[in-house]
Amino acid sequence: MYLAPDGDELEIAQAAAGFLAEAMSIERLHGAACADMSADLRHSLGSMGWFALALPGHAGGSGLSAVEHALFFREVGRQCGPVDVLAQCLAATIVDDNALRSSIVSGDVGVALAVGDGTGLRIFGSENAAFMLQLGRDRSDLYTFKNSASEPRASLDPATSIRVSDRVPTVASSETGDRAWNLGQLGTAAMLVGIAEASLDQIVDYAKVRETFGKKIGSWQAVRHPCADMAVRLEAARAQLWFAATAMKEGRGDAGVHLDAAKYLANQAALANADTNIQLHGGIGVTDEHHAHLYLKHALVLARLFGGRREVLGRLLHAEVED
Amino acid sequence: MDLQYSASDRDFRQQARAWLAANVPTKRRPANGHTSAQYDRDWQRKLYEHGWAGVAWPKEYGGLGLTGLQQVIWYEEMARARAPHYINTTYVALMHAGPTLIMRGTEEQKAFHLPRILSGDALWCQGFSEPNAGSDLASLKARGTIDGDDIVVSGAKMWTTDAQHADYQELLVRTDPESHRHKGLTWIICDMKSPGIDIKPIRTMLNDEHINMVFYDDVRIPKSNVVGEIDGGWASALATLSLERGLGFIGDQLELYERVGRATDMAGKLRLEDGTLAIDDSSIRQKLAALKADALAIRAMTLADIAETDRTGQPGPKGSMMKLLVTSAHKALSELVGDMMGWDFLEFDGDRSAHPWTYDYLWSWVFSISGGTNEIQRENIADRVLHLPRAR
Repeated sequence: MYLAPDGDELEIAQAAAGFLAEAMSIERLHGAACADMSADLRHSLGSMGWFALALPGHAGGSGLSAVEHALFFREVGRQCGPVDVLAQCLAATIVDDNALRSSIVSGDVGVALAVGDGTGLRIFGSENAAFMLQLGRDRSDLYTFKNSASEPRASLDPATSIRVSDRVPTVASSETGDRAWNLGQLGTAAMLVGIAEASLDQIVDYAKVRETFGKKIGSWQAVRHPCADMAVRLEAARAQLWFAATAMKEGRGDAGVHLDAAKYLANQAALANADTNIQLHGGIGVTDEHHAHLYLKHALVLARLFGGRREVLGRLLHAEVED
Repeated sequence: MDLQYSASDRDFRQQARAWLAANVPTKRRPANGHTSAQYDRDWQRKLYEHGWAGVAWPKEYGGLGLTGLQQVIWYEEMARARAPHYINTTYVALMHAGPTLIMRGTEEQKAFHLPRILSGDALWCQGFSEPNAGSDLASLKARGTIDGDDIVVSGAKMWTTDAQHADYQELLVRTDPESHRHKGLTWIICDMKSPGIDIKPIRTMLNDEHINMVFYDDVRIPKSNVVGEIDGGWASALATLSLERGLGFIGDQLELYERVGRATDMAGKLRLEDGTLAIDDSSIRQKLAALKADALAIRAMTLADIAETDRTGQPGPKGSMMKLLVTSAHKALSELVGDMMGWDFLEFDGDRSAHPWTYDYLWSWVFSISGGTNEIQRENIADRVLHLPRAR
């Protein structure tokens, strides 16, 4: 038993971190028209094979596991990466048609994420997407997507654009079962862990250089202790993320329970760490030019996807885990 | 990453589960006094006679020589079987003193003390803290003066758990009067029956007398009882403390999951003051589920830390993080059960067995202060994990 990234896993995480910091650095969110995946970014990710990460070898994927999927999306989260990156990866896993699958994997066509919002569909991701993916715990549907049928809405999160649609879409491909949902839940939990980490790293770096009252702020307990609490929340969420990813990889019967716990803890850690990061930065923490608010806003979106707080807690209460 | 238990791990779990199911005492532990210490000795004796003593100890010293992962399994099975709580009067002997002697004691010290600890014949207490030095152990003042073959100890120790039941004490004194901070301290085995020792119990908010102030009036201790070097006690003390902050609370970490389960079962039966079933209250449901997630995370952290320690042979700096999380989750769980129990929660006479949830609520402050306060744990994390500028 070993519950931390190891060997090849570490190399994949490092490769992902390096690539994403170049291809979609969080700095992009201070520019104009920055939301979602552009066609260029999509092709760039596709050419590196990142969309095939969770795809089995026989379907043209890399044959890697849920563990590598989690490691990749943690790095996506650190850059407040677009939600469509996840939709694109998941869509590749549910499509049977070889031609369609390879055009998704290569990034030739884009996939947005669709979520039922009570009256219709709420769509996250690029308006240039040709498809949208809606996932449930017992089935996944890929729909063809017509731009004219959706209506843009204001979005709190600069990393994610939102549209709504009340049209009944046309199904292009479907899959029953919870595999894609589980990968989606794991991916969002991983992105939230990445946000919790990036928020902690940002304030720790600042606390080592910024001085007040003649001392580095990192030497004041009013800063040290909230930072320690951030580290504890992060460590709990990250340890549970590794557990859930490994449980999925090994096909344990209780993987879904561990995923729910991982999602809940990641939601809490990302939101609380983003909050503390803004607070401990003082005035600069509320400025638009700073990254701190980007982590919070993106976490608010991700915390609602693939199991918000009430939903995952409702399932967790009576769930049983194995030894 | 992997979560696989080996065949021997699985066998070990089955053996532990079967033995505990057949042997866990049905009689409640007495609330206080020497009868409770005797209960602990009897349980330890039973573990010893059936080959279950010293789960963390190497085989060559009479322990089970278990890997970290098997220790996790043992504590999980103890919690499942509702075995007597491992934090009792045998705790310091088994979790601190024995392992410290194994690391730093002489062959004579090991040969004499280790079997007595394993069999429950010798109970130990810790003599580190002092009236003016809580978590700041480097400011200790109790003095040990070298006099021929003896060290003569004078001064006072504070917060000494179970001193009144203990046969021996891990005693930290200042042997070099000119020394400052962590230099000039010596770690000695003190026989608690030595003349000149006076124990004054301190009644706690738990309505018990498990902690004490201990006074030393020219207590003569042979130099052969020094563990490590004279004036070099800090290294031995750090060894003791790393045990406490590492796996010292492993049982509590793993027990949390069982306790959340018990609280959930209880919520399915208890009626709130307005007549609704506690489990039908959405706020109670959500808090229980959130604590269950915390308990799972604590287990994942423990497994990750243990795997790392088994692999590198070195405990990581995560003990402080786990202790913070466990102590706050324990307190939150007690508060939640208190909400569910209503007036009954306020009935308490100090008997842990009769009023477990109220006892654990009050205990949650002891838990978050002993072994380094939560504030000290945060300082450790700020220094050792985040490498922030030093506060002191």
